[in-house]
Amino acid sequence: MQPSKQQSSNRSRFLRAETITALGILIGAIGFLFPTSKLPALPSLLPAAMLGGLIILSILMLLSDQRKASTGAEQEPVLKAPRRVFGAFGLIVAYAISVDLIGFYPSTAISLPLVAYVFGYRSPVGLLIATAIVLTAIYLIFGVAMSQEFPSGLLWSK
Amino acid sequence: MYTDLIQSLPNVIAWTNLAALVIGVLAGIVVGAMPGLSATMAISVLVPFTFGLEPLVALGLMAGIYNGAMYGGAIPAVLLRIPGTPAAVATTFDGYPLAQRGEGGYALQVAVVSSAIGGVASAFALMLLAPPLSRVTLLFGPAEVFWVAVFGLCSIIFLLGGNIVKGLISACFGVFVSVIGSDPIFGNDRFTFDQLELLDGIHIVILLVGLYALPPVIDLLESPLKTDGGASEHLGTQPIWRTLPRMKGYWKTWLRSSLIGIWIGILPGAGGSMAAFMSYNEARRASKNPEEWGKGEGEGVAASETANNADTASALIPALTLGIPGTAVAAIMLGGLLIHGLQPGPMLFRNNPDIVFGFMWQFLFGAILLVFLGGSLATNSFAKLLKLPRPLLGSVIIILMLIGVYSIHGRMFDVYLMLGFGAIGYVMDKLKFPLPPVVLGLILGGFAEENLRLALRIGRGDWAVLFQNTTSLILVALTLAVITGPMIKKRLLKAKASNGKA
Repeated sequence: MQPSKQQSSNRSRFLRAETITALGILIGAIGFLFPTSKLPALPSLLPAAMLGGLIILSILMLLSDQRKASTGAEQEPVLKAPRRVFGAFGLIVAYAISVDLIGFYPSTAISLPLVAYVFGYRSPVGLLIATAIVLTAIYLIFGVAMSQEFPSGLLWSK
Repeated sequence: MYTDLIQSLPNVIAWTNLAALVIGVLAGIVVGAMPGLSATMAISVLVPFTFGLEPLVALGLMAGIYNGAMYGGAIPAVLLRIPGTPAAVATTFDGYPLAQRGEGGYALQVAVVSSAIGGVASAFALMLLAPPLSRVTLLFGPAEVFWVAVFGLCSIIFLLGGNIVKGLISACFGVFVSVIGSDPIFGNDRFTFDQLELLDGIHIVILLVGLYALPPVIDLLESPLKTDGGASEHLGTQPIWRTLPRMKGYWKTWLRSSLIGIWIGILPGAGGSMAAFMSYNEARRASKNPEEWGKGEGEGVAASETANNADTASALIPALTLGIPGTAVAAIMLGGLLIHGLQPGPMLFRNNPDIVFGFMWQFLFGAILLVFLGGSLATNSFAKLLKLPRPLLGSVIIILMLIGVYSIHGRMFDVYLMLGFGAIGYVMDKLKFPLPPVVLGLILGGFAEENLRLALRIGRGDWAVLFQNTTSLILVALTLAVITGPMIKKRLLKAKASNGKA
């Protein structure tokens, strides 16, 4: 049986970005109240006030968004291209993890052309030149001139 | 009062400081010229790299970037009708039609001269107004400082406009982040979850880079904007001295727009785009030929560019004297001062006059440099920047962010923390939560808590100590005015509108 239009609109009311965010803030603030309750009175004063504020404000945000939803107001899509956004964020996280695991220079040599290629810059010569220039510049400026040490990679140290 | 200002001048003209300023202005123009990059982002990426630098070199870079980016935003605004920074939106109205009829070079020269005039006016306002204001704030005790912090937070939330609930959520989040780590008085661990890295609290730079640099990078990769402009081929550039006589009728606009920009800069929460729009509207209203505006009127470019540069240094008046930044960039600059151990507020003028006054000179010199660097280079060379591939640019910025954050303490924990804040910042940005209250919450939260508890200790736990003198009461009244003012204004406008309908 097909769900009725009313049912699906009721379901989508709770999948609105603002509603989900308000619920996330509410749950997060309540969660942080537990460690706050174990603190002495004065050190817990400001955190408790802020968490209390966040709880009240998230409820207000939730109610306001649900009121908008009940009038049938459509919410603008938050992301223009969700796959690209998640892809970009995933690649950045992967880059950070790979720096931790295999070291800064090898990760950068792989990630720089990879991210640029995945997101639309497809010139192999351009990628090669850009990677060489950026790596050399980083090595000379940070490695040599500023004596900055970068992660050498957990995998190699073991 | 102004002796310190004069005495700080020789320091500023040391060649390292001047070189930092020149590099800053050039970098700022480049950043501003790239749609998707802004002064806010550039300075937040830069801040961690300034750790090892002398404070005046670091501040010179920041002042240069801020000045340069405000002008740089005009380049794509004129050539492609894509504002390089949000503050350059009003520049597109007349700048682009000028470029369409082959006068892009003239439009850019009007932009650079107007930006320099706005910047110089703003720097003078900072030099004249900040020292006397700092003298007044030197009289403040812990209770007054606490109220100043509360006033700062409230003013940025309520004057920012938009959704107040979201503004308050942002501020509460920022203040909450400020309490993570050891309690400043009793030393209790708060929300550290046995992570030693969190004992000292969350470094402001980690938050700044996460909130202000990561979301634009993802935006840069999300929408592959084509920036190949046809207009850049026909700029019609002439030497700046030849175009200056054509601008002689703009002096009233320069004056009016400078005043508007300075005023908007001082107001917490309002920024360059508001100054540019307001100034454009006022200049158009005062014009003898308003019907020509929007079709390529050079005075329109002058109005918006003067105002968006006039709010740069003036935004630092409340930031340096009270610790309340007028704009997002000023909030980041406060972060930049903090990492050099310089606490914004009245004591800054007493303890570090050479640096604070030197910073003011740097704003003035940065604005003047715009004419030399922007004027001679703002033509074909900067126009070519628009053709740089955005995915490549995004990748390079990601690497710089990682290097910057990692170099603070030399640990990857901070990088992961920055990515977490970046994800939060991206969601906040997309759902239109204002970001400046988060930064201000982090800066003022700890400051407010420390002074509140100090005041309570002085008053032996009696909360009445917070209301015991006239200055405190004035600050409480100002805070209430800031909270209720916009609501009253809204009601009055509503009543006026309904009366009009009736």
